[in-house]
Amino acid sequence: MLTAVFLPLIFALLIPLLSKWKDKIHTGWFVLIVPFTVFVYLVTKTGKDFAPIRETYQWIPSLNINFDFYLDGLGLLFGLLISGIGTLVVLYSIFYLHKSEQLAHFYVYLLMFMTAMFGVVFSDNVYVLYTFWELTSLSSFLLIGFWNHRKGSRYGALKSMLITVFGGLSLLGGLILLHLVTGTTSIQAMIEQKEVIIQSPYFGWILAFVFLGAFTKSAQFPFHIWLPDAMEAPTPVSAYLHSATMVKAGIFLIARFLPIFVLSEWFMIVTSTVGIVTLCIGSYMAVRQTDLKGILAYSTISQLGMIMAMLGYGTSTAIFAAVFHILNHATFKGSLFMVAGIVDHETGTRDIRKLGGLMTLMPITATLALFGTFSMAGVPLPFLNGFYSKEMFFQASLDLSGTSSITEVLAIVIPILAVVGSIFTFVYSMYLFFGTFRGEYKEQELPKKPHEAPIGMLISPIILITGVVVIGLYAQLVNEPLLAHTYEAITGEISNKTISYWHGFIPAFQLSLLVVGVGTVLAMTRKRWSSIYNVLPGSLSLNRVYDWLVDRTEKYSMKITNTYMTGSLKTYAQLLLSAIFIISAAILFLTNGINLEATDLAPITIAELLIVGMMAFAAIATVFTNSRIAAILILGVVGYGLSILFVLYRAPDLALTQLIVETVTVALFLLAFMHLPELRKRTEPLRTRALNATIAISFGALMTIVAISSFASKWFEPISQYFLETSKSLGGGKNVVNVILVDMRGLDTLFEIAVLALAALGIYGMIKLRGNSKEAK
Amino acid sequence: MEIVTSILAGILFTTGIYNLLQKQLLRIIIGTSLISHGAHLFILTMGELKRGNPPILVEGVTNYVDPLPQALILTSIVISFGVTSFLLVLAYRASQTNQTDNMDELRGNEHE
Amino acid sequence: MSNLAVLPIIVPLLAGIIAAFIPRKTTVVRIFSRVMTIVNLAIAMYVGFEVYQNGSIILETGGWKAPFGIVIVADMLSVLLVITTNIIGVACVFFASRSLTDKQESFYFYTFFFLLITGVSGAFLTGDLFNLFVFFEVLLMASYGLLVLGGNKVQFRESIKYILINLFSSMLFVTVVAFLYSVVGTVNMAQIAQRVQEVEQQGILTTIGILLFFVFATKAAIFPLYYWLPKSYIVPNPVVSALFGALLTKVGIYSIIRVFTLIFIHDTAMTHQLFIWLAAFTMIFGVIGALSTNNVKLIVVYNIIPAIGFMLMGIGLYSETAVAGSIYYLLHDMVVKGALFLLVGAIVALAGTSDLRKMNGLIHHYPVIGWMFLISTVALAGIPPFSGFVGKLLLLQGGLEQGNIAIVIVGLVTSLLILFSMIRIFIRGFWGEKDESFTPDKKKARAFAWPIGCLVAITIFLGVGAEFVYPIVADISTYLLDPSLYIDSVLKE
Repeated sequence: MLTAVFLPLIFALLIPLLSKWKDKIHTGWFVLIVPFTVFVYLVTKTGKDFAPIRETYQWIPSLNINFDFYLDGLGLLFGLLISGIGTLVVLYSIFYLHKSEQLAHFYVYLLMFMTAMFGVVFSDNVYVLYTFWELTSLSSFLLIGFWNHRKGSRYGALKSMLITVFGGLSLLGGLILLHLVTGTTSIQAMIEQKEVIIQSPYFGWILAFVFLGAFTKSAQFPFHIWLPDAMEAPTPVSAYLHSATMVKAGIFLIARFLPIFVLSEWFMIVTSTVGIVTLCIGSYMAVRQTDLKGILAYSTISQLGMIMAMLGYGTSTAIFAAVFHILNHATFKGSLFMVAGIVDHETGTRDIRKLGGLMTLMPITATLALFGTFSMAGVPLPFLNGFYSKEMFFQASLDLSGTSSITEVLAIVIPILAVVGSIFTFVYSMYLFFGTFRGEYKEQELPKKPHEAPIGMLISPIILITGVVVIGLYAQLVNEPLLAHTYEAITGEISNKTISYWHGFIPAFQLSLLVVGVGTVLAMTRKRWSSIYNVLPGSLSLNRVYDWLVDRTEKYSMKITNTYMTGSLKTYAQLLLSAIFIISAAILFLTNGINLEATDLAPITIAELLIVGMMAFAAIATVFTNSRIAAILILGVVGYGLSILFVLYRAPDLALTQLIVETVTVALFLLAFMHLPELRKRTEPLRTRALNATIAISFGALMTIVAISSFASKWFEPISQYFLETSKSLGGGKNVVNVILVDMRGLDTLFEIAVLALAALGIYGMIKLRGNSKEAK
Repeated sequence: MEIVTSILAGILFTTGIYNLLQKQLLRIIIGTSLISHGAHLFILTMGELKRGNPPILVEGVTNYVDPLPQALILTSIVISFGVTSFLLVLAYRASQTNQTDNMDELRGNEHE
Repeated sequence: MSNLAVLPIIVPLLAGIIAAFIPRKTTVVRIFSRVMTIVNLAIAMYVGFEVYQNGSIILETGGWKAPFGIVIVADMLSVLLVITTNIIGVACVFFASRSLTDKQESFYFYTFFFLLITGVSGAFLTGDLFNLFVFFEVLLMASYGLLVLGGNKVQFRESIKYILINLFSSMLFVTVVAFLYSVVGTVNMAQIAQRVQEVEQQGILTTIGILLFFVFATKAAIFPLYYWLPKSYIVPNPVVSALFGALLTKVGIYSIIRVFTLIFIHDTAMTHQLFIWLAAFTMIFGVIGALSTNNVKLIVVYNIIPAIGFMLMGIGLYSETAVAGSIYYLLHDMVVKGALFLLVGAIVALAGTSDLRKMNGLIHHYPVIGWMFLISTVALAGIPPFSGFVGKLLLLQGGLEQGNIAIVIVGLVTSLLILFSMIRIFIRGFWGEKDESFTPDKKKARAFAWPIGCLVAITIFLGVGAEFVYPIVADISTYLLDPSLYIDSVLKE
């Protein structure tokens, strides 16, 4: 399986090497081998005796992140879809994309996506699953942006990325919780501990997080809005990622964790409600679209909703129907996307208002579309696979029964919504087919004169439609070797389901007929009631919410940031100092840190008091003076006062240094500010000055209080006694301060000199480069 | 006495910060100088004042003041000197190239 | 043998001094600097190997036994960071000659550069609180020199603010060291830790710790102290921005990690809880800043802040998983920020503007730069399998282990917004119509690409090859959470 997962990636790395031949042979032929090989490999695994396969390869074992691959029925079904549809899509793309396109990019992204998708469905390790999950989002982003010179393409790429990555991150949260609750990173091992998970206090969070991941990926309401915009991608991509595989990853995820979640009533409530609402909104919205791919996009949303709803029911009929429909949907929807691509390719437009009457011109395409749309609509004909799963869906909806007040209501509402959604499904299916292939042929509106598509483009949809018919007629062909295993993988029970056309005139069948009847009427009168969309615009408003959110995020961040990032040092310093003061003062009080009972104090002498008083007075005077010379000289007074204090406090070296430094500094001050204007009178309003004063005084007071408290908490003998003892014997000097500086703390001094040297170099550079910068100008 | 010097150092911080919050570069740099004086005074105070002779060893004297804070202050004085000089030249150059020494006019508008 | 530990500090110091004497010979100094950074990287790796094999190297400088002299403590954390620092150094030095003018190079760029490496490595390696201050000053002074290099008026203007804020925090630093000295009578970190643990009634110590935290937080750009950062980081040359973005704030966060796992662990309910709150605000406001602008440089600069928030979150959570997450995130962030700063530098140089609204379709001209940018973006947002994921995973695990769903949600939302803020550059700048009138400078782009490519490769390695790095980080985390290991190794009791 490791090979299956990484084969596409390895091929992707080889593609750039093919650039030599890119003009001769379409790169797609080379790529085609990859999904086909995997498909064949997986087909050989199917059969009645299939048993899950497990493989483990180490990656980051110390974090329990390993390539634990687990191929069970569920993985097998999805693996077949990914590789099977993948083969057909690559084949189709060979004819769809011209050699002049950036094919290398296209196929690298596509292969990357295949690896990601195989990884998602085969991984048993939650973190590896997440890794591949995000890789699908990333490759989808790149594929949607393939024609990135289009604005819509860039818009759609960003939208899909934001929404699916949002879901992905949320999923990560859920997966981490699952890991922490169960202590394992293996999904199968988690399932064995499902009771533990259900009873965990975090279960609600787990459910919410995983839901967000699954619903965003599978375009469930209200996150479905990214899918229609993703249609900007080339059609093969839409057929592949945004219909058959990637969007089903959310379904896969829910199915994967179903054995755990099914124990929770909330799972059932949320999943089925979201699913059924998505079904209705999607099919309702599909009818109002005018772009073929738009119709198909909403149709996909609605079908995904239906599958999601069935998983939410959690009953055996529903789950089996869901599994069956995953397969059926891939066949008919895949072919319909390809048909849409063909129509686009041949006529030059996808606008259904310009299309019509193509049946005679493109008979094969039209036939394929006929089968596809009718299967999608669930028309009760024995050779359409869509009907079977649709009928099971009705059956499962009717079978619902409530155990609590909420579920009781749901059991009544859901079948009604199921029928409503299916009626609209029928309507848009007919609309799609008849609008494109029947009716009036509007030659003058078409950019190109349509012909039947080249055979190469037709092969893939033909194969898919053959699948529709064969599955319809001989459902047992896929049931026993495949679907039964998938069912078993999800429910843990052996499947005894059979698929047959005629169950008698049962309620589900009656509903099918009802849908066809009402649907036909509505489809024929569509133009008359379509004004309803002006009243109920459906999900357009959600798009507005998204646009609004994105727009506001940027605008408000600008606003918020601009309020404090003013560029003014004063604002910065005010905010910074206030924050430090408030938090530190709060901590000081909360921890009872204040201790002003310093006992062991030095005596106070008059001389000292005089000096201190002078310094304090001078310091305060700097605030009030308006003369620059005065200010600098007053600053000098403080400095010289400090050196006198150093003398008094038995620090001769300090006094000397301070004296010299002060003198030089004052000189520098005078030098630097000779050319600058006088100090101006303060023009600031009183409020600002009061605020500044408050900040300054509070901070100064805080420092004093912390200082006294620290002084009063001398709990240990300072290490300097050692210096006094060893200065002479080990350091060889009598002046202890000097010995400390050059010996014990020599490293400090070395780098202190380095700082000085750097300052000198910097100053030199600033002065020297002046001339140069003028020259440059 | 330590309480008195702590208060003085606090006053130096206060006046320094007040100056730092002004517009004119000269005041601001004066503010930083006051703050460094305050910081050095704090260090000295924390080492206890006048508890013995200056830390220059003399035969027969056993009582000296704590030499370590003095060493730290010395390092710090030299470093602040370096930074202040750099700052002064920078301030001079900045006000010259920007034609103002008013920090309000030195806000810049790269941010939108 | 133990002298080895000081080499990563002394070698760049000497290299810087020598470079100062040959500034006018640009070619010579350039080659000399390239050789010396590689030599220094090799030395750092050798020291790393030694530490990995035989445990921490303790060097008592001048032969003065701890706690009296200054000790250099090369433990695994320090050494790992020194190695990463030198990797950034190598990439930057190779990028420098392509990005700076000859004039700028000759005005002691390399001296400032080497001294910056000295200061940063010294700060990582020192075991002495006051010495940490000195190394801070070395790296700050070097950064001032780099900041004004080139000397236009915008640079001067922003430098003043940067220096003033840093000067204030430096003064606060020495003052707080003095307070601490008063209480515990020592400046040796191991001994401070030992003595703080012996105290029963902590009283003033928590406040001193918080003040110290603010000193480091100002340098690390933690909410609400990061205002000085954005503008001062966009004005200098890209290579200087890269050095700042990759290294300077990280020294701050390293100091917080060190001090708040070693010394101030007596009241985690107060201090570390506060950190979690601050981390949340740092992430939110930082990423809001990143979304607020169309200036590509500024977008990347603002993204420094939420990353710091993530690291602080790990320290706040203070568990083995979370601290390991912080350290892993730290390593990742240094590399990826280095790459991103160089990338935007290259983008601005190649596109001729830093305004996103004026860029278009660059990927058609510069595909390699474009793809490296996308990888770095994805790595920054913490999407697997790149480097950001491992750290983020551990941090989120750490958060959830303690049931702190709120901070985890903040972290997840922040990740999304980081991605949003960065992917805008890719979508608006790189995608779009190919501008045919634009003549790309392919040669320059190739020259830019190599140093960046190395960093991007390391980013990928840190993610895909996490198995080679994570066990070391996990050991560091275990080691950090047991301060006695550090104390005993320094004080040898």
